[in-house]
Amino acid sequence: MDDFTLGVLTNIGLFSFLALSAYLLLLAGEMSFGQQAFFGVGAYSGGVLTALYGVPLPLAGLAAMLLGALAALLVGLPTLRLRGLYFAMATLAAAEVARLLFELFRFQREIDGELTGPDGTQGFRGIRWIFEHGVEPAEFLLLVYGLLALALAALMIVERSRLGTVLRSVGEDPGLAASLGVDVNRFKLGVAACAGALAALGGVLFAHHNSYIEPRNFDIMLGVHSLAYALIGGLGTALGPLLGVTLDIGLLESSRVFGGTRMIVFGGLVAVLLIVRPRGLLDEQLVHRIVRHSFKRP
Amino acid sequence: MLLDLLQNTIDGIASGASYALLAVGFTLIFGVLRRVNLSFGPGIMFGCYAATWMHLNFQSGLIVLALVAVAGAVLAGAYVERLCFAPHRSGSAIAAMVASFALWMQFEELVTLVLPRHVYAFPTLHEGAPLEFAGLTLRPDTLAVLGAAVVLCALLHRLLYRSRFGLAVRATIENPVAAGLSGIDTGQVFVRVFALASAIGGIAGFLIVATHGQLTPMLGMWSTLKGLLAMMLGGLGSLPGAVLGGLALGLIEAHSQWFLGPQLRDLTAYLLLFALLAANPAWMTRWTTSRSAS
Repeated sequence: MDDFTLGVLTNIGLFSFLALSAYLLLLAGEMSFGQQAFFGVGAYSGGVLTALYGVPLPLAGLAAMLLGALAALLVGLPTLRLRGLYFAMATLAAAEVARLLFELFRFQREIDGELTGPDGTQGFRGIRWIFEHGVEPAEFLLLVYGLLALALAALMIVERSRLGTVLRSVGEDPGLAASLGVDVNRFKLGVAACAGALAALGGVLFAHHNSYIEPRNFDIMLGVHSLAYALIGGLGTALGPLLGVTLDIGLLESSRVFGGTRMIVFGGLVAVLLIVRPRGLLDEQLVHRIVRHSFKRP
Repeated sequence: MLLDLLQNTIDGIASGASYALLAVGFTLIFGVLRRVNLSFGPGIMFGCYAATWMHLNFQSGLIVLALVAVAGAVLAGAYVERLCFAPHRSGSAIAAMVASFALWMQFEELVTLVLPRHVYAFPTLHEGAPLEFAGLTLRPDTLAVLGAAVVLCALLHRLLYRSRFGLAVRATIENPVAAGLSGIDTGQVFVRVFALASAIGGIAGFLIVATHGQLTPMLGMWSTLKGLLAMMLGGLGSLPGAVLGGLALGLIEAHSQWFLGPQLRDLTAYLLLFALLAANPAWMTRWTTSRSAS
């Protein structure tokens, strides 16, 4: 595999975490414009831990996930009882606050005679753990997809369990779910924390893949993209968001056929696709039909 | 000190006037459709780019440029309405929103294909020196923006509260089903309101680029964010609220820039919005209590 393909594949994996994070909240009936904030929290905290304190990447990853979950709880606690656009705008405001705080965040230490660390709008250079520890790009790709597979497996097991049914019921009709004994607010908080941790994990990996991050990476565009990925791919299965990311980054970034008009072509395709399939390519009905066909009893 | 406060207030109201227009456009669309049009700002940007193109190729006068900006924004709005909102009228709000985001990407690429430079100069409304009055400075063009906004709001008020069309619009905002049952063609209301909102957006966009004297592809995102922010601050779904929200956003920005510096300006506005939403005051969320705002 050449470097370009490796890069594209790794990026697909990285942004899949963010798309899954948006997907999880969509299932619970909430549209978040702010998952990029937790991606950013993961990227910054993971980067600080490995580059400034020499913490090994796996530990830093766990810490970043914890921080991402905490940040999501912090945002979710006062906002999750809001509905629809109110919640979307609250998360957007929170994410922009986070991005602007990253712009103010200066925390540098001398590492090997060089100032390293977040430097406000100048960004955060020198997150070199994977280079220093001789992790080859192909190995990193495996790491990303291994973790992604774990996350997917966990999500798919949850979706097929009672918990998944509760999740979808909370998303479909929170009032009805509550009347059946589900503590909707606590349940949503748990979902938000998991989504925050997922996004943060993606962020840690993103920071170490790029070795350089800046506040602009985590702007509203990233957040809306992740929502779009989840919806284009489909809300029927956790594989949907992956399909969305693959379609966008994979087809678009790697195909130079359309030249300068690729966003025009792709944007139009997405709009038309959503007319035909408003809940994405792999929506609940299609997934149900596939599952029924492949597990047909004799 | 007092003078600075006054000056900031004036500047805040001046920029707030254009935010108010953006918020009014957003609110009209949200009010009747219950959908967020993320392409509202990019559509305005499209109109402004069309005007810039006219300016570069034909050196048209300001009036022609304003008309082109409005026509471009309405055209873009019609395209967005057909592709993103007409098909999802009764269906998914999220699908409509994501579709409008997809078209945003289209607008952004289209304008940079035709006019690829990062910044384009735009003719300003008034070249003259700022007016000085008792130590306060007033730019003539911001006065023009303020005047235009007041006139536009007055006209809109007349249209909405003194005409049959306005009655139909308000009925549709109040309850689309009941409006349909009493014989209002809500589909037609949707289309006309979309055009009206886009035209207001086009005027707002023209006034904004003509006071800034320049146009960048960032205008799309900027207008969408400012419009959304002002609409939410004014308590989603109310037109007087949208005007107040716009003015409030202008004032917050002007004062926080003065007291806390430019870096904290946007932070203050977003923090305030977050705090407001978290506090969930009744005037802000009366829409969610009467019906789902999603």
